[in-house]
Amino acid sequence: MTDPVAQLREQFPDAILSTSDTSAVPSITVKPETLVDVGFFLRDAPGLTYDLLSDLTAVDQLELASPLEPGARFYGVYHLRSVSRDGTLLQLRVPLPGGDTPTAPSLTGVWPTANWHEREAYDLLGVHYEGHPDLRRILMPDDWQGHPLRKDYPHGGEHIPFSPTWEDEEFKFLGQQIMKAEQRPEAVPGRMDSKHMVVNMGPQHPATHGVLRLIVELDGERIVSVEPDIGYLHSGFEKQAESVRYKDFVYYTDRMDYVSAMQNNLAYVLTVEKLLGIEAPPRAQAIRVIMAELQRIASHLVWLGTHALDVGGTGLALLMYAFREREDILDLFEMVCGARLTTSYMRIGGVSADLPPAFVPRLRDFLAILPQRFDEYGRMLTDNPIWRHRLEGVGYLSKEDAIAMGVTGPLLRASGVNYDLRKAQPYCNYDQYDFEIPVYDEGDSYARYFVRLNEMRQSARIVQQAIDTLPDGDFWLNDPKVVPPKRELLDQSMEALIHHFKLYTEGLKPPVGEVYYGIEASKGEMGFYIVSDGSAHPYRCRVRTPSFSNLSAVEMMSKGHLFSDLVTVIGTIDIVLGDIDR
Amino acid sequence: MDLSSIDLRAIGAWFHGLLISSGMSQTGIHVIEALVGALLLLIFGLTLVIFLIWLERKLAGRIQDRLGPNRVGPYGLLQTVADALKLLTKEDVTPLDADRVPYNLAPGLAVFHVIMALAVIPFSNRVIGADINVGVLYLMAVGAIGSMAALMAGWASNNKYALIGGFRVVAQLLSYEIPLVLAMIIPVMVSGTMRMNGLAVAQGSIFGFGWFVWTLPLAFLIFFVASLAEGERAPFDLLEAESEIVAGYNIEYSGMKFAWFFLAFFMNSWVLAAIGTTIFFGGWQGPFVDQLPALGVIYFLGKTMILFFVQAWVRATFPRLRIDQMMSFCWKFLVPMALVLFAAVAIILKLNLPQPLEAITLLVANVAILLTGVTLLGRTQRKALYAPKRAFTPTIPRL
Repeated sequence: MTDPVAQLREQFPDAILSTSDTSAVPSITVKPETLVDVGFFLRDAPGLTYDLLSDLTAVDQLELASPLEPGARFYGVYHLRSVSRDGTLLQLRVPLPGGDTPTAPSLTGVWPTANWHEREAYDLLGVHYEGHPDLRRILMPDDWQGHPLRKDYPHGGEHIPFSPTWEDEEFKFLGQQIMKAEQRPEAVPGRMDSKHMVVNMGPQHPATHGVLRLIVELDGERIVSVEPDIGYLHSGFEKQAESVRYKDFVYYTDRMDYVSAMQNNLAYVLTVEKLLGIEAPPRAQAIRVIMAELQRIASHLVWLGTHALDVGGTGLALLMYAFREREDILDLFEMVCGARLTTSYMRIGGVSADLPPAFVPRLRDFLAILPQRFDEYGRMLTDNPIWRHRLEGVGYLSKEDAIAMGVTGPLLRASGVNYDLRKAQPYCNYDQYDFEIPVYDEGDSYARYFVRLNEMRQSARIVQQAIDTLPDGDFWLNDPKVVPPKRELLDQSMEALIHHFKLYTEGLKPPVGEVYYGIEASKGEMGFYIVSDGSAHPYRCRVRTPSFSNLSAVEMMSKGHLFSDLVTVIGTIDIVLGDIDR
Repeated sequence: MDLSSIDLRAIGAWFHGLLISSGMSQTGIHVIEALVGALLLLIFGLTLVIFLIWLERKLAGRIQDRLGPNRVGPYGLLQTVADALKLLTKEDVTPLDADRVPYNLAPGLAVFHVIMALAVIPFSNRVIGADINVGVLYLMAVGAIGSMAALMAGWASNNKYALIGGFRVVAQLLSYEIPLVLAMIIPVMVSGTMRMNGLAVAQGSIFGFGWFVWTLPLAFLIFFVASLAEGERAPFDLLEAESEIVAGYNIEYSGMKFAWFFLAFFMNSWVLAAIGTTIFFGGWQGPFVDQLPALGVIYFLGKTMILFFVQAWVRATFPRLRIDQMMSFCWKFLVPMALVLFAAVAIILKLNLPQPLEAITLLVANVAILLTGVTLLGRTQRKALYAPKRAFTPTIPRL
């Protein structure tokens, strides 16, 4: 019996408040006081085993005309997946008592990954999680006032220091905000021992791939504890989504995981399409697969180059070799959409343009040389004794730890879990392609190196099949309510002109409801949770990014190793700070 | 121009005569000549570095599928000059709580020890700063000043990264000095001289067959690996591992003081290559060097540049070792092997074999020790590999 609703009703007759079926995902509303017990049950009950907490967030229903959870201002929402049962999704909703100061029981005891997610919900929405070991702000600065994702948070009221002339008031204090070093006491986290050396690594450090800050407690060169400090790149995309129209948010998704923009685009447009109940035509789906897999190769190449750079030093030639191939992929992206990094190529209902005639031949040329290039990387690294010494046994993550920490993507597959949403929950017709999921049992950095290297080969295989079987037809859905009509129709049809005008002035309006949809992006599960109030803007848009959960395992992976290994561990997680901080 | 007409002795004699004619005392003449010689070496060293930095960057560029510097001057040759000028204009920052005396002394010492080492290197049979009879010992002595400089910089900067770099210096440079010395002692034992030029002369048989690298390949390998570590070159560049401890001991230095460390680094690499050339590749020895002594300089510089190129090549190919791996590589592999080789060579030399037989025995002993060592190392390594282990047990609820 794998029906979660029935099982749960049997086990906890009083816990369930209501159930619904949003976009084919069962959604259960439970009483807040039973949440932890329900969590344990859903995680452990045979036949259910929702062992992966994909996402955890809350929603402020203040301005929602017909609240999804009547009677409470906030509701918490949890997205659980069962890794052992093909990533089956379950949505759990909890109306949060407490009105304007909502409280919820903490799920950190059930899924340790909830730790960071609950801190985020506390930070941005002010939900107090009872029983959380360390409830602090995570993305916003410690001294921030208010919780930005609340609907009554003053929007646009912030003082923005920008002005065209030097005489303006905001420049009066220019330079004064720079404090002298001795003015600020050294803030060593309380759990760290003052006998040890506490090193501040980042936010400007060559190996932290952006603006990650790690407070590292060192005993000699051995790591005692690591405290990641994130949020330096927090851009408030989730808040921004609430004031842009659905189609305009595609451009923001580029900036999240900025080395795999296509994947982010894809995750977002698929979520909105799910909300609208539409599906892009087959040609668009095939083009999306080509782009997503090329992007996966490009993203893994960036990982390979920078990982080798971190482990090996600036002299190591591999970085430039990997970027040489990535350059070819970016050239291909430039051919289809004119942009290389922030592509914004996917559209709700299709892709922004058809493939140009020269694209497929050029892609074939590229695919022809690609395997040799992969061999070249392998020759440089795979059996290089120093490379093996630096990677083997470093950053070990067991299968159970990986799942408990919400780790997805290549990290999870290197820990021996055969879980890939492309196979488990196929989207964009991935089930039509013949490819394998590389899985390694070792769980260390060397296994992750193999997983990613082989994933690139498999991606190349998928792209090859996709261009061989590329269907003809439209690259945009023929639905004038969602997709603007073709340019030539505007000169002939009044109808088309009206649709075009409506779409660009009002935007598309999905039905009232909510949807969560996740895809297998380069770094793991990239998911969007969108609540629609029937207007042209998302009411709430939550982004589940893979690196956020993956990074939360950094302490687990690096504890007890040497300082140099921390760099290896950061590299092997393949973090992109835009993806973590959003 | 007839090459044989270049007689360096003639220039020396002319200068000597000039000083005598000025009516100076013997001591004064000696001091002035020594100073002029030192100045020439200094100028040579500093000019060389400008070229070396360009060469290393160009080589790294080509190996990495890039162009390398190509904007300033022909083939980017003046790039280093432009960089040095830029560094001169930079603000010279001293951290607030730095220990000022060692902090300011360290860059000077770093350059000082390399230039001191240049003094005993025989560029040719006659072009040599000071052909002292304890040349090898002297090299080791001034080499130790380099570790001192790095340690001082790491300690005095009042920076945690610099401190980590500082204690890596102690671990690395001091440890690798032992295999380095042991590897250098072996040619000394064979040739019976510590004089640098004497070592070059001892390898003088025809067509380079007398080079110690042929009879003592293992000694050269140990020397080369240890010299990579001593020169802070990849894969042993942990002292300034930019991706871990940012720049290590010189993180707080800016402007010209940083440039001094940079200069010392490149010159040190080159000097180690030059020592390797002198000890193992016959130094200035080469065809027709007896007829044309000036050719010796060309041979010497050529061989040194080849060794320098290999160093740059290794840098582009190998990832960096970790500190514990580097230590165990030194103490569990290089030092034992060097000691065994040392003992073996001592015994072979005691046997007083006739010449070709002695050389062959030495070669056989070298190869045998190398193969045994690598086999043993491989066996222990294979045990260690494929054994992922967790370094601690996490305290999270089990599923």
